[in-house]
Amino acid sequence: MIGKDRLFTTLEKVMADSKADQTEAVFLGSSVGLTRFANSHIHQNVAETNTTVYFRVAMGKKLGVASTTSMSLTDLRRCLRAATDIAKRQVENRHFDQFPGQQDYPEVETFFEKTAKFSPRQRATKLKRIFTKTINNNLDAAGAFSTGEGEVAVLNSNGLRCYQPYTTASGNIVIMGDDSSGYVNFVSHNIDDLDFTALSNTALKKCKKSKNPKEIEPGRYEVILEPAAVANLLEWMNFIAFGSKAFQEETSCLAGRIGEQIMGSNISIFDDALNPAGVPFPFDLEGVAKKGVEFVADGVARGVVYDTISGNKENKQSTGHALMPSESGEGAMPLNVFIKPGDSSLEQMISNVEKGILVTRFHYINGFLDTRKALMTGMTRDGTFLINNGKLSNGIKNLRFTDSMLDVFSNVAEISSESVSIPGWWDAMGCNHVPAMRVSEFNFSGKTDF
Amino acid sequence: MKDKLLETIDYLKSKGVQYADIRFSRRDVESIKVTNENVDTLSRTLDQGFGIRVLADGAWGFASSSKLTSGELKKVSNQALKIAQASAITKREDVKLDEGMVYNDHYKTPFQTDPFKVRLSRKINMLMKINQTLQKKSEIKIAESSMAFFKTNKIFVNTDGSVIEQDLMESGAGYTATAVEGGEVQKRSFPNSHGGDFMTGGFEVIENMGLQRNANRVREEAIQLLSAPPLPAGEADIIIGASQMALQVHESCGHPTELDRVLGTEISLAGGSFMSLDKLGSLQYGSDKVTIVHDATCEGGLGTFGYDDEGVKAQRMPLVDQGRFVGYLTSRETAGVVGQNSNGCMRADGWNRIPLIRMTNINLEPGEWELEDLIADTEGGFFLDTNKSWSIDDKRLNFQFGVEAAWEIRNGKLKTLYKNPLYTGITPQFWNSCDAICNKNHWHIWGVANCGKGEPMQVAHVAHGTSPARFRKIQVGVSK
Repeated sequence: MIGKDRLFTTLEKVMADSKADQTEAVFLGSSVGLTRFANSHIHQNVAETNTTVYFRVAMGKKLGVASTTSMSLTDLRRCLRAATDIAKRQVENRHFDQFPGQQDYPEVETFFEKTAKFSPRQRATKLKRIFTKTINNNLDAAGAFSTGEGEVAVLNSNGLRCYQPYTTASGNIVIMGDDSSGYVNFVSHNIDDLDFTALSNTALKKCKKSKNPKEIEPGRYEVILEPAAVANLLEWMNFIAFGSKAFQEETSCLAGRIGEQIMGSNISIFDDALNPAGVPFPFDLEGVAKKGVEFVADGVARGVVYDTISGNKENKQSTGHALMPSESGEGAMPLNVFIKPGDSSLEQMISNVEKGILVTRFHYINGFLDTRKALMTGMTRDGTFLINNGKLSNGIKNLRFTDSMLDVFSNVAEISSESVSIPGWWDAMGCNHVPAMRVSEFNFSGKTDF
Repeated sequence: MKDKLLETIDYLKSKGVQYADIRFSRRDVESIKVTNENVDTLSRTLDQGFGIRVLADGAWGFASSSKLTSGELKKVSNQALKIAQASAITKREDVKLDEGMVYNDHYKTPFQTDPFKVRLSRKINMLMKINQTLQKKSEIKIAESSMAFFKTNKIFVNTDGSVIEQDLMESGAGYTATAVEGGEVQKRSFPNSHGGDFMTGGFEVIENMGLQRNANRVREEAIQLLSAPPLPAGEADIIIGASQMALQVHESCGHPTELDRVLGTEISLAGGSFMSLDKLGSLQYGSDKVTIVHDATCEGGLGTFGYDDEGVKAQRMPLVDQGRFVGYLTSRETAGVVGQNSNGCMRADGWNRIPLIRMTNINLEPGEWELEDLIADTEGGFFLDTNKSWSIDDKRLNFQFGVEAAWEIRNGKLKTLYKNPLYTGITPQFWNSCDAICNKNHWHIWGVANCGKGEPMQVAHVAHGTSPARFRKIQVGVSK
């Protein structure tokens, strides 16, 4: 960790030499360890210490971006010159006005000393307890367990300064038998939030319960989607529906439908980056303070997230969802997405299903089939069960689904009161915090051999 | 830098490690994307650092840093050693490597024009012109054209004595026209979707793509798709275009022949493989028309290099020979399981990632057919072109692909255009239904620059040489 004062001093020194009209520096630094395991032993164990500085400069309305992993003053100055050189050769970006001004940031607790200091040996020791359990049960454990610390800083020539240190602990556990498996995943800023005994027991129980899976024919079934499965679907919705690019290019299922009922009235989906129940973070990578954004409220389409440039396209303010400067062409993306919980429980939902299927998680979803309808396909895996007469029955072989998420989220009959944080694509700055759901109709279009 | 790495290898030897290697990597990337005549991405990134892999107490440790000082090399060496010792407390057996060869070599990608020396204004103008052609009609709401260039310098040293330097150059480009009307969204892309096509080579790769001359056709097809009927569900004979065949090979042959997947070490994320050890040499994976090779040596492939990231020389080996499954993609650690030495498939996405078994160029060998003759030989069916979506189960059996466009084939001729085509199948059944593959006149090595695998996620640059091929009685569309 470099620390706020040293970072600001170094970057301000470099920015002072800028020949551009406006200059922005974004710093991402981290020291992260990740332990992968399979066949009940560690097979990969890695550590990475990395820094990246992005300089984005504006010459009038012309923007240039360059980045470097070196923190030497010589390399940083060279990088800033490269960004300026690019900007000079650019064409004007008609949607750019100026970098954001100074902001007020809420205090958010994102750094936990114990997580920062969690060592490879501590990770191995926690995992060894799981391996002992799986070996004793004639099963195998596989997965990943990562811990680390990092810091993010944004500075610009309009006086904006922000800095946030963070820690992260995340991963997943798959317990496997000859013909069955069970799964859990986890994410938090704080290692103390994670109960490895409970997590591994959940995966173990699912693995044992799903052995000798039976084949069932594809078709339309009532389903219970556990939180990991809901998050798998939601992660694609974040990508194809709730970002500014998809909305403005009219490929999003929300485009042209703001104010319309597009899902069931029991569905509310929103981004809440400051909510401590998830993995909070106070600002985005333009230094804009995070704002809450409703995507769907009581089933009605409400809006999407913006960064500065995509906001300008619609005369809207940034909502604080900018990504890395080098990715600014992709627009803004949500990172901390919540679905409003209901008042049911998983057990209650199961008891309300006469014949249906419980899905632990999905594999290899693809949401590009027809983005206007949020039509997706994917496979079930790691714990797919038949429900008969209100009881979890036997495991079943995996199925392929192909369905519109607008239809699926219009057919939600029950939602659990409890939500779980499921890792998203950027664990350090967010997650999907979601409940389980009972969906009255879900289309399984194919099957596989296991 | 090389001297610092060699000093560090000596230091690691003095610590008594069983094996160690160090990779320094410096990667320069330039990305340009023009959307609706607005340059919305123009960036240059420099990513450099080193990674140290240590085998100690029979287990692996890996540590990496972007700080390039001798002190940091020593610190990270100690860190990797400690991590290996931590891994060892859970080991069930010692890691063993094949004997390996020692090389002292410098490999360079052959290229004509350094893309980093081509003026930015020239590149932007090319992309702008394509945008303008695509936007000549109002139905095209999004015109997106892009280029990217990668220049990588890698130095590899190991305790066996290898010292290998490589200078790799990769170039790629592509564009997409998105037509939007009345809640309908349709896309056509060239030369491929998802960012275009990539090859090893310089700016000549871009100049030879025929980008501008295809833009009118791409625009018109995107517009025609808006009013096209959806592909009806049912069973049909299909001819799959070459770029979609590349993804078909990628998902249903490339990934399942990765030996680490077969051995279960990728099971929690990407999954395993139906091509288990007991099937090697006996599984009739496809029809006798189907021969698929791993070839890291072929000219221009995005998976072409001199040595993999374990210092193993680039090779060509069959994976499927006239339909029979005969080989895996391997590493120095895994090859012994099948009684072989590594065939050079360990690749890392930069200095900060550990090498994993990855595809190189996984090529479907060309057949004998001219495409026109193959269409003429097909009484009824569909011609499917350009990937739109992809999904496959975690053992690589049940797949479903969506493509941008399909044309009905009736009495040997291309007829009606259909939108939203999907096809689905079970891998070995599908490949066994292949009865014709087009010849080398239609064969091209398609670069896939976004192959994800591993935790932390690694994105590999791989390629597939393919030509159009015909498959009989395939499920198209989706049952509801």
